Amino acid sequence: MYFKKNSNKSFNILLLRILIIFVFILVSFFIIIPLLPLFLKSFSDNKNNFIGLENFINYIQNPSLTQSFINSLKVAITTTFFSVLIGFIYAYALTRTRLPLKKFFNTFSLFSLYIPPLAVAIGLIYIFGKQGLITQGFFGTIPGFDINLYGFNGIIIGEIFYCFPQALIILVSALNLSDQRLYEAAESLKASPLRKFLTITLPNIKYGLMNSFFICFILSFTDFGVPKVVGGNFNVLATDIYKQVVGQQNFAMGATISIYLLVPSILAFLIDKNFQKNEASLISGKSIPFKPRKNLIVDSIMFIFCSLILILVIGVFSSIVLASLIKIWPYDISLSLQNFRFSNVAGNGYEPYFNTVFMSIYTAIFGTIFVFFTAYLVEKFKPLKKIRMLIYFFSTLPIAIPGLVLGLSYILFFNKPSFSVPFLDFQIFNPFSLLYGTMGILVLANIIHFFTVCFISATTTLKQIDKEFEEVSESLKVPFYKTFLRITIPLSLPTILEIGSYYFVNSMITVSAIIFLYPAKIPVSSVSIVNMDDAGDTASAAAMSTLIVLTSLFVRLIYEFTSRNVSKKSSVWINPLET
Amino acid sequence: MIKKEGSFKYLEIKNISKNFGETFVLKNIHLDVFKGEFLCLLGPSGCGKTTLLRIISGLERQTNGDIVQDGLLISNSPTEKRDFGIVFQSYALFPNLNAKQNIAYGLENKKINKKEIEKRTNNLLRLVGLEKYSDQFPSQLSGGQQQRVALARAMALSPGLLLLDEPLSALDAQVRSKLRNEIKLIQKKLNLTTIMVTHDQTEALSMADRVVVMERGHIAQIGTPFELYENPITPFVADFIGKMNLLKGKYDKKNCVFYYLNNRFLISQNTEYSFLENCLLGIRPEDIEIIKFRKNIEKEENILRVKIKEITYLGTIFRLTVVLESKLEENIFVDVISNQVISNNLKIGDFIDIKLKKEKIKLFESNL
Repeated sequence: MYFKKNSNKSFNILLLRILIIFVFILVSFFIIIPLLPLFLKSFSDNKNNFIGLENFINYIQNPSLTQSFINSLKVAITTTFFSVLIGFIYAYALTRTRLPLKKFFNTFSLFSLYIPPLAVAIGLIYIFGKQGLITQGFFGTIPGFDINLYGFNGIIIGEIFYCFPQALIILVSALNLSDQRLYEAAESLKASPLRKFLTITLPNIKYGLMNSFFICFILSFTDFGVPKVVGGNFNVLATDIYKQVVGQQNFAMGATISIYLLVPSILAFLIDKNFQKNEASLISGKSIPFKPRKNLIVDSIMFIFCSLILILVIGVFSSIVLASLIKIWPYDISLSLQNFRFSNVAGNGYEPYFNTVFMSIYTAIFGTIFVFFTAYLVEKFKPLKKIRMLIYFFSTLPIAIPGLVLGLSYILFFNKPSFSVPFLDFQIFNPFSLLYGTMGILVLANIIHFFTVCFISATTTLKQIDKEFEEVSESLKVPFYKTFLRITIPLSLPTILEIGSYYFVNSMITVSAIIFLYPAKIPVSSVSIVNMDDAGDTASAAAMSTLIVLTSLFVRLIYEFTSRNVSKKSSVWINPLET
Repeated sequence: MIKKEGSFKYLEIKNISKNFGETFVLKNIHLDVFKGEFLCLLGPSGCGKTTLLRIISGLERQTNGDIVQDGLLISNSPTEKRDFGIVFQSYALFPNLNAKQNIAYGLENKKINKKEIEKRTNNLLRLVGLEKYSDQFPSQLSGGQQQRVALARAMALSPGLLLLDEPLSALDAQVRSKLRNEIKLIQKKLNLTTIMVTHDQTEALSMADRVVVMERGHIAQIGTPFELYENPITPFVADFIGKMNLLKGKYDKKNCVFYYLNNRFLISQNTEYSFLENCLLGIRPEDIEIIKFRKNIEKEENILRVKIKEITYLGTIFRLTVVLESKLEENIFVDVISNQVISNNLKIGDFIDIKLKKEKIKLFESNL
């Protein structure tokens, strides 16, 4: 029998395929391909001759450089241990006890997310440094106490400040997923508190715990800001790269050290990824959230613990603000705004500040669009499964690429006007080189540097949106892009705002990804903090830090306000039959 | 198979197979659906019924086979080029659009003027009885109302085929039976060819013109609800549609006798069974009679002496679970009218005689 054939062509599927391939090309060129010149460089000398493993061998044979590797590991392991421990206790207090003033502790615990690690280090100088408040006993009013800030101690304290809120966020959400019924069942079986903790609480949060170990390890292993300011003679890999590249213009050695920095990070990343693969939710949709009972002893201990942590966080922030307002610490402690002039120092006045604000705005806008669209294509469609899986993998990778390494690889990749094809006498124009020396490359570096967290958060939100919406649209002959604009975006608006504010705040405070990249005509504030600190102008560095923190907090407030309005508007979609 | 007067094959499913890697989900499915027919795909979870529905819609692609809709070969057409409306189990209503906007969603994409859209949307709202709720968001509607919005939305583009994927299973029992009738009425009014997936046999029997019983990726039997209940062709269908006792024994073809342990049952000679001697005897619980107080039972045929193990009250009837003394683990179910149990004062542990009605006995091939 013969039947008339229906049309097999679909413009929408074709368009989708093109979009997926386009995004694949973009993430490849922004994430993976720039790493190749870095690898090549690490096998070459500074005149671009291939020298095999010579750089790596030189590195191992240089005792001061290998010491840095060991130092970095020491810092990372110590920081990870303490950050996760403190983060866990704090998160436990917030989720599983009747801690008084819980809302207050919850809000202010994340305060240090808005303080650049550089600024934390500067704050530490004013507390524990040679002329610090504690060291000198509050300008000599009480006996002082010196903790030997410059070196290992200072780095560890600074890194814990930096990493603790990251661990906290992960652990709070892990601990929040709980099932009261499991604890009730255990209680009915007469399980001891320790047994309940070991058999219910720990297994439930093991993925969160592992993930927080991984995040803290990478952040502290690769951080540049804190060791730069309070590291003293205690060298780590990140400061070594900076010295090789900026100090000695030795790009080959910089690339080699970058590989030493990159490999443990990627390894940690792969271990974590492999571990998370087995994650299966132990909490079903029917779970009843855990309701902690009053326990005077536990609640009081937790209150004291959390208060101590908060006092430290607020203390560091206050000392930055104070330092920026005091004329000449510690000799003339009268208040003035002169440190905010930035005119007579290595700072270029207010130009770096405004450059940074614009850079952060661009990063927030373009980053959010790019990351959300990428997540949408990966999550919502069926065509080109392998390519989508690759995009997913590439998108999760940047979290393991240290900022300095990303920055260095971007220089090496984007400053090439053309690529030569191996074995052929042939050059291909590199269109991305047009970005070199513009604000564009800074924005792009920021977008990629913070890509993973935003991507995961977009993916998680998109997963929660019924996949059948796309199927219904198809059956109603509505093309996917209309459904994207009319349904998906409105439903994801809270997350989109969150991603935008995350991008903004992190671009404000970051230094590592852009310190190699910023063009001389576009100075940025975090780099000028480094320069002012280098020049001994710590008070101006504190003033710039204050500006950054206040700007970040201001944007965060706008975010809170907007997202509250958005959720008010959308509450009618979400709250069932409340009227 | 019945073919209604004047109806024609609207949808032809030809030799459809689907496998994920090594595992077969559907195997050589042949099925014709007639214009205006209400067809149910019925089966336990994992039997492939939803996959078949998704293949018809193009949301899933078959590994082999063809689909012809209204004379048009659509086997490889993308979903958006096929002519159907679908209602999902979750309804998948757009939460940020109100009832009216949800229904108009597909219409707005067509080049129809606003007035026409307004008119058609209002008609659909009236059709499903939701005129008053047009401005409500899905979260403000009850489950049943959401279901109606989903139905109206699926019918908005006046599709030739309506696909319903377990549309009632998220609703509570009362709303469900009300909606059953409504859907059926609308379907008949519009003469809309409809395929519904369900695992609920009552739903299938009460709504469908024909039911397709599916088992592990193939079609076990197709027929009207009446045919399936009265003449199931496999023990699976027999026990899935209603309840059937299945006793394993030997069939003596020459004498039309079935041996179960030491008991012999006469089988009606009206049906010829072609299979081997090892087979299953099937009888529904309501086709077994209690003859405890009848005299001269020696003269009667097909009698079993059993012990009452359990009595379950089901309203107008009691279901007795009885066992043979020699085979305590094999339960036989007997449905008895309530007052018979009460007036005879039947208790657990009592011995009674039951009679299997000869003309109601069916034999099935035993695949064990």
